[in-house]
Amino acid sequence: MPSCSQENPPYPSAPRLMLVTSTAPDSTRISNGQSDWSALMAKAQDGDRDAYRSLLRQVEPYVRSIAARCFNLPADAEDVVQDVLLTVHAIRNTYDPRRPFGPWLVAIANRRIIDRLRRHTRQKAREIELSAEHETFAEAPANLDSTISAELALVGAIDKLPPDQRDAVRMLKLNEMSLKEASKASGRSIVALKVATHRAIKNLRHLLKGEPS
Amino acid sequence: MRNTSDLIDALVDAAGPVQRLRPPLLRAVLWLALAAIVLALLCVAQGVRTDIFMRLQQPMFVVSMIGALATAILAAMASFKLSLPGSSRWWLLLPLPALAVWVSTIGYGCLTNWVRMDPEGIRVGEAARCFATLLLTSVPLSLAKLVMLRHAALLRPTTVAAIGGLAIAAMTSFALSLIHDLDATIMILLWNLGTAAVIAGLAGIFGRPTLAWVAARVMPALPPELSGH
Repeated sequence: MPSCSQENPPYPSAPRLMLVTSTAPDSTRISNGQSDWSALMAKAQDGDRDAYRSLLRQVEPYVRSIAARCFNLPADAEDVVQDVLLTVHAIRNTYDPRRPFGPWLVAIANRRIIDRLRRHTRQKAREIELSAEHETFAEAPANLDSTISAELALVGAIDKLPPDQRDAVRMLKLNEMSLKEASKASGRSIVALKVATHRAIKNLRHLLKGEPS
Repeated sequence: MRNTSDLIDALVDAAGPVQRLRPPLLRAVLWLALAAIVLALLCVAQGVRTDIFMRLQQPMFVVSMIGALATAILAAMASFKLSLPGSSRWWLLLPLPALAVWVSTIGYGCLTNWVRMDPEGIRVGEAARCFATLLLTSVPLSLAKLVMLRHAALLRPTTVAAIGGLAIAAMTSFALSLIHDLDATIMILLWNLGTAAVIAGLAGIFGRPTLAWVAARVMPALPPELSGH
């Protein structure tokens, strides 16, 4: 059994099933006014969809109450409820109407809760929840770290260069073209490109240091 | 995340009449009947061991055979019972007395030097035929059990697979003792306990994924749009 932190035992014994108030029609009630889930399941096994819908709707809050004792987040408890409903559906042929429905359902709920608790343990071992330090801010620059700031500064500085130097840097440094390729693409001589690149780097150095070029 | 009431609607739409499982003990009997058929066919094909009547006079042999058979029967009953939701874990203990008797008879033979540990105790030629018997018994019984217990994939797969493996192992060991002349050799230990340990161990290790694999193919009970849930 999973060790849930609450004081009450995580899994109510079968008699607790009787605490659930029924919204089922009178035909599905037994003399003491409690819904007979066993009879509903027997009808569902025979293909009665209304009985099946009624059963699942009545079982849902009960399973949720069990799951809520083991999980803090409502979303986790809801996942377990859905897992339990899917399992009930998948193995509904294993239910014997001559036996009580409660232990059958609680056994399935136990199994799904254990599975999810195991999954949580595995996730905790390799994942970290985001803390306050990982918070993002509305101001865009506040979310940028220093590397990105430097890149942005470089891109801004390149934009300020004269057109011939800017094109030379982009082709030779950013696009990593060879001198021949750049010469062919721009129609300028190799020497002119070399000179432009040299001047561009010199200018960039000044721009990034904040000195006048 | 899908809304739970939408899920209920989808499940209700996908729900049709289902055939209820027969009582677990009846299903155990069906599996044991299959085992009996397999054993009978093997006895016809390979022949019962030649000294069977002489061996049946020996109490130790008879107790060992009865122990193996009882282990198989009780473990089969326990596995079918345990595969159902809400069944008590105490069913796990059901085959233990028979298992103790079966293992102790073999162990006692070893203790009193009844089992020959010298090189003459091992006959390689017999080993190949034993291996054939082993596979012919355990493979069909394992497949039948996997299909019959597929719904346990969603409940307690490892436990059910291990106890089911014990049933198969004991039945295989019974078949080996019935068909092959292995007495008074270390082969008894190798084949009986060794194969039992290997089968039960494999079932315990691979039971969960194998049951899940079979369940996904033989029991597509969930509507296709929900199977990826």
